Amino acid sequence: MEQEGAERSTTIVASTSEGSSLDPIARVRKLLFRQMLVGIKDGRFFLGNFHCIDKQGNILLQDAVEYRSIRRSSPSPTEQRCLGIILIPASCRTSCHVDCSIEEQLSLIQLKE
Amino acid sequence: MQSVTEEESSSIDHEPRTSGDNSVWAHVSPLLSAACSDLQEGELIHGDNFNLFAAMSALEIMDPKMDSGMVSTFYSIDEAIESGFAPVPISSDRTVDVQSIIDIMDHLLACEATWQMGHSLAQTVFSCIYVLRPERTSSHALLHSFCRVVRATCRALVSVVSDARTNEEEDLFTMTYGLPFSGDEDAKGLLLLNAVEETICRQLRACKATSSKRRMLEELEPLQTNPQLEESLCKALLCRIRFRKHLLHALNCMRRPQGRGLELARKHIAYCIAELDSVLNSVEFLSSETFENGKNEMEESTTGSGRNPIGFEPTLNKRLSAPTPPRAIKLLSWKKAIDYYVKLLHNLDQICAFKLEPDLDAVLQFVVQFQKSRPDLVARAHLQLLLVQDGKLYGRDTFLTICARSLALDVTKNHGLHLNEHILQLNQLMINLLKILCANTPWQRRKLGKILNDWSIFNVQMGITVGHMMQQVTKPRTPKNGDKSLLILNHIYGWVEEQIHWVALRFLVLGFDLELYSPSEYCMVYWYMYIILWKLAEKAHMRVLIIVHTEERKAKKREDYSRDLAREDRISLWVLLLKCQTSLAQGLTVMIAALRNEGMCLKSQGPFNTESEKFIQHFGLLQKASLPKYDAYESFSESTCHAFYLPVYECFRDAQKMAKEIKVGYANDPDKLAEVVGLEQVAEHNIIAVNLLCQDRSLKVSFEFIHHPHFATAVVRRS
Repeated sequence: MEQEGAERSTTIVASTSEGSSLDPIARVRKLLFRQMLVGIKDGRFFLGNFHCIDKQGNILLQDAVEYRSIRRSSPSPTEQRCLGIILIPASCRTSCHVDCSIEEQLSLIQLKE
Repeated sequence: MQSVTEEESSSIDHEPRTSGDNSVWAHVSPLLSAACSDLQEGELIHGDNFNLFAAMSALEIMDPKMDSGMVSTFYSIDEAIESGFAPVPISSDRTVDVQSIIDIMDHLLACEATWQMGHSLAQTVFSCIYVLRPERTSSHALLHSFCRVVRATCRALVSVVSDARTNEEEDLFTMTYGLPFSGDEDAKGLLLLNAVEETICRQLRACKATSSKRRMLEELEPLQTNPQLEESLCKALLCRIRFRKHLLHALNCMRRPQGRGLELARKHIAYCIAELDSVLNSVEFLSSETFENGKNEMEESTTGSGRNPIGFEPTLNKRLSAPTPPRAIKLLSWKKAIDYYVKLLHNLDQICAFKLEPDLDAVLQFVVQFQKSRPDLVARAHLQLLLVQDGKLYGRDTFLTICARSLALDVTKNHGLHLNEHILQLNQLMINLLKILCANTPWQRRKLGKILNDWSIFNVQMGITVGHMMQQVTKPRTPKNGDKSLLILNHIYGWVEEQIHWVALRFLVLGFDLELYSPSEYCMVYWYMYIILWKLAEKAHMRVLIIVHTEERKAKKREDYSRDLAREDRISLWVLLLKCQTSLAQGLTVMIAALRNEGMCLKSQGPFNTESEKFIQHFGLLQKASLPKYDAYESFSESTCHAFYLPVYECFRDAQKMAKEIKVGYANDPDKLAEVVGLEQVAEHNIIAVNLLCQDRSLKVSFEFIHHPHFATAVVRRS
């Protein structure tokens, strides 16, 4: 399992090292099937496999889990729930993160510039 | 914006599912928006496994109809409690506290009735924070014990319904996933409630007592602070508490094995009904402050006082049941909830009053009679659990014994029979039949149609075995050792055929109750009923002959043998009733057919399906079970295409004559008597109608169920 993960990360590094020359669509395509963490306006987070995105920025996550805090006041325990496939409209999305290696993150930051 | 998302990403690192050591959460929003702006209209970024159909079923976040996780009033129960939504005590003013508790009690009653009418517990009873978290109220004996008893009652009902499995269609009833149900603690609620009741009783006595006596009772604190309201508030609380107490007792008694607690349960039910009456009467006092302008508001309210209760939030549990939020429901009003309980209690009383005779005819007739009032799930589940316990009738007699009894046979000596494969199968068929008869009418009809096939296959198999055995036995070498197994099997074989026809008749008759037949189809329905009734009457008559024969022989053998003449009379009467119905069905078939042949009554011709197709749609299940054995549609169209009026008189007159005879026999049974009187009136009115129609062919005729729910009366009108 661990070996598999390592292999995957190396392939990603390989692909992203030349990544800066790729257009954004191709880069997003590389993020498919990765673990994605999406935060929405009402404070909930959804963790799931990145499945699809459309022009409007609506995201589909597969095998998603919802995390919500039990209380309104900020430091509070969370509650989680499995939801399966979900659609997160772009309008309510406030943050979006993808699970990747440190090297990869660096290349992503380069990308932004 | 950037800083906010960065902060969030740092907080995410505490999430339980962060990835391995070397990986981090990379912020990708800018990349996504860049990609989106590059995308063409309608283009998607997706992998190979993308499937539009599956994607369409995705749950849309922040859609109020799909996303149950959306934050509504409160994030959680704890937050609701912390925000003071359900305080304990409800108010520091004890008068207000007591009044609020009465409102909670009333609203809970409405919630329970709504639940029992087919909604989920989570949205009804458990929308009450005091019920969800009873441990919070332990300092407040009244509220605490009441909520505990409510929970115990819910538990008892869930257990009855899930044991009976009558909830196939009402599957929300038993859904308790995620709800706190702690049996032991709740069971103690009743003890506590008793103590509370006693205290309030004393407080009531104290406030009524004259001043001289009051001194003796002085150490007793009054219920609340306003002496003018004391008596009425005490009374309002007492009737509500007592209702709860007796209801739970009644339900517990009804669950005792073999119907041993029914008598006691009946007493509790009587108390319940009386207390419910007092609850209803307390509304005058309770609503005196709130309703000044009209009664309209009262009809809709879920409490007697008309105030909104404290501590209820139906959205609290909405994430428990499914990923999508449950539909919003409308609670029954308090008045309707009381009506529901009155009906339920009367139905339960009916069950408790049943004499538990080990007689199948009596059982079947009771169940049919019971279903006439359209009882709700809870009552039907109780009846079913009473009838079938441990695979035996009332948990006492095997169905072999019961069958044999209905043939006046004794099976106690023939031990081997219990293990006979046919008898085992029959046992299962009977259990299924009784369970189905306790289901709601639409479901019942569907299932009856389906089990007819099982019964007829069973009948054929049994016929083969019994026939085979009979052939062997006719050879003279069979020893006479008193083993009557074969004789009994042979009789049971005949009885099974009678039973099949009974089921078929019930199937047809339920069609009227469910309004499945259109007036243009009455002709074929009555024709089919006639065929089935005729055969059923014949089989039942055979059984009477068998019974009389065996009883006579027994009486001859032993002089002290007392024949059960009452039962013989009862079955004979039943046969006569069947014959009366046969004549009526025949009369109606011929009459409608004649009207159709003369063009006075519409033939069943619609633009969509032909008469033979309708015939199959209605009776396909009966024909599959070979009832009758010949081609029914052919026979039906042949027998009705040349019909004319003359034989109608005879049929109706026969029916009338028989009804008169039966009436004498049923003089002591008001339910039966009413039915027979109905049949008699149908016959009488139809004779008159036929007379009029013969004289004047221009009359208009329609068929209505004025006198009997299943046998139509012809109504004749000019123009």
